[in-house]
Amino acid sequence: MKKKVLIVCGTGIATSTVVNEKIKNLAKKAGVKVDINQAKVTEAKREIENSNYDFLVTTTAFSYKVDLPVINATAMISGIGEEEVEEKIIAKLKE
Amino acid sequence: MIEILEVLAGFFEILTNLGASVMLPIVIFILGILFGQKIGKAFHSGLLIGVGFIGINLILDLLVGNLGPAAEAMVERFGIELGIIDVGWPASAAIAFGSQVGALIIPIALGVNIIMILFKLTKTVNVDIWNFWHFAFTGALVARLTDSLVWGLVAAGINAAIVLVMADWTAPMVQDFYDIPNISLPHGFSAAYVPIAIPLNNLMDKIPGLREIDADPETIQDKFGIFGQPIIMGLILGLALGILAGYGAQEVLNLGVTMAAVMLLFPRMVKILMEGLTPLSEAAKNFMKEKFEDREIYIGLDSAIAIGHASAISTALILVPITILLAVILPGNSVLPFGDLASLPFLVVMIIPITKGNIFRSTIIGTLVIAVGLYISTGLAELHTAAAHAANFDFPEGAAMISSLIDGANPLTWILVRATGLGAWAIGLIGLLTMAAGYYIFRNYSARDDLA
Repeated sequence: MKKKVLIVCGTGIATSTVVNEKIKNLAKKAGVKVDINQAKVTEAKREIENSNYDFLVTTTAFSYKVDLPVINATAMISGIGEEEVEEKIIAKLKE
Repeated sequence: MIEILEVLAGFFEILTNLGASVMLPIVIFILGILFGQKIGKAFHSGLLIGVGFIGINLILDLLVGNLGPAAEAMVERFGIELGIIDVGWPASAAIAFGSQVGALIIPIALGVNIIMILFKLTKTVNVDIWNFWHFAFTGALVARLTDSLVWGLVAAGINAAIVLVMADWTAPMVQDFYDIPNISLPHGFSAAYVPIAIPLNNLMDKIPGLREIDADPETIQDKFGIFGQPIIMGLILGLALGILAGYGAQEVLNLGVTMAAVMLLFPRMVKILMEGLTPLSEAAKNFMKEKFEDREIYIGLDSAIAIGHASAISTALILVPITILLAVILPGNSVLPFGDLASLPFLVVMIIPITKGNIFRSTIIGTLVIAVGLYISTGLAELHTAAAHAANFDFPEGAAMISSLIDGANPLTWILVRATGLGAWAIGLIGLLTMAAGYYIFRNYSARDDLA
């Protein structure tokens, strides 16, 4: 089963690329196949509607109401509390 | 100190003559090795950055080559003098990193940061290596203006210092409002609007009637949502400019789709650049964190982490049509807003905590700074274009001038460039004032403890 993850950040480029790399590595270690996309926060709603994502990872303030689980991964950028977020993501990947 | 810089400058002059797409891979490779990366990984990172540069150059050519003639035709038909193309921050970031100052910016900005932490002039450890391009951009313009790499480096270093002090100053407010404990936002563009927004917000506090107005973010996002989708915006602007240029139907449609392509592809190219920079950025982050683990520090991050706030998005969306309107009606403005219309959240993201999320006030402040910004970018366009050519971006010479709202319209960039133009004393004075402000803020501003 491939997990489909959307990473949302302010630009769809900068911080989401950093987190993309990290989630790819986490998935590799956990032995889970992932399909990761990145989006700008203003485009996120449309992207979610058009595709079947399993969960959302954000590196920015996220104020839209969505039906998907949302994990805030700002910690992966700052490095403070990173392990905790990693565990949350691994749990979601293995679900 | 100056002698060391000159020797380094000579070395980098040779490197820069190779062109950004060759120079930066070499620089990033060397830095990667210095920060303890494996050779294979460092090589791959460097190469990715070179590839990103070539990609950006291709899209920049596509943009200027298509939009330039259309803008010129529009000028001839209507006398609307909007001949300077806003190429957007992806191009400006590439120009900045591709300059001689850009080649040295990572060690310079980290060095300034380390010195300021050791002397207790800042609490921020800026790990947002990517956004060092803002400092490099100021430096690149100064280097063009003064024809001196050393002054370019000095200006870039002072820019980095100012932004650290501003990050400390705003940290309590930003941490509280966006709920991001231990973090500050040393962003070269977003932070520049803080000293302007604070007095304007205080002024609006005193005006009865104005004081109470606000807007609802959800309504605005529904009504202005289209401005949040770059490809649709690219299409519409391309079509509109084609029509204004007096093109035939086929050419109009062509310009529309081409501009949609530019809007979508530009960020994709930057993503390649970012992928190359990420491992180095991680290594630098770990290095800095280990060094200052025992100190009370803020981790300085990209202001992009706060951009998703509903008020920030809403304000930025309203500002898109306002920016286009201002560009058309302001006499003396020559900048045609395009590439950075989608990046306006960066302009408002640090204004929002000051107005406590009030969209109406943030829009008023945003409108004022954009109006001034258009004049700034008109004034700096010649240097901006010269810096692009100096970094080997080979869009048609003399065909069109380029600018971008980020950082071409940045008041802080403008002050530093113009101050250096006045002479060494002016830039020196700014440096001293920055250190004094850092000293004061370090001792008098603290984040709320209950957030940590």
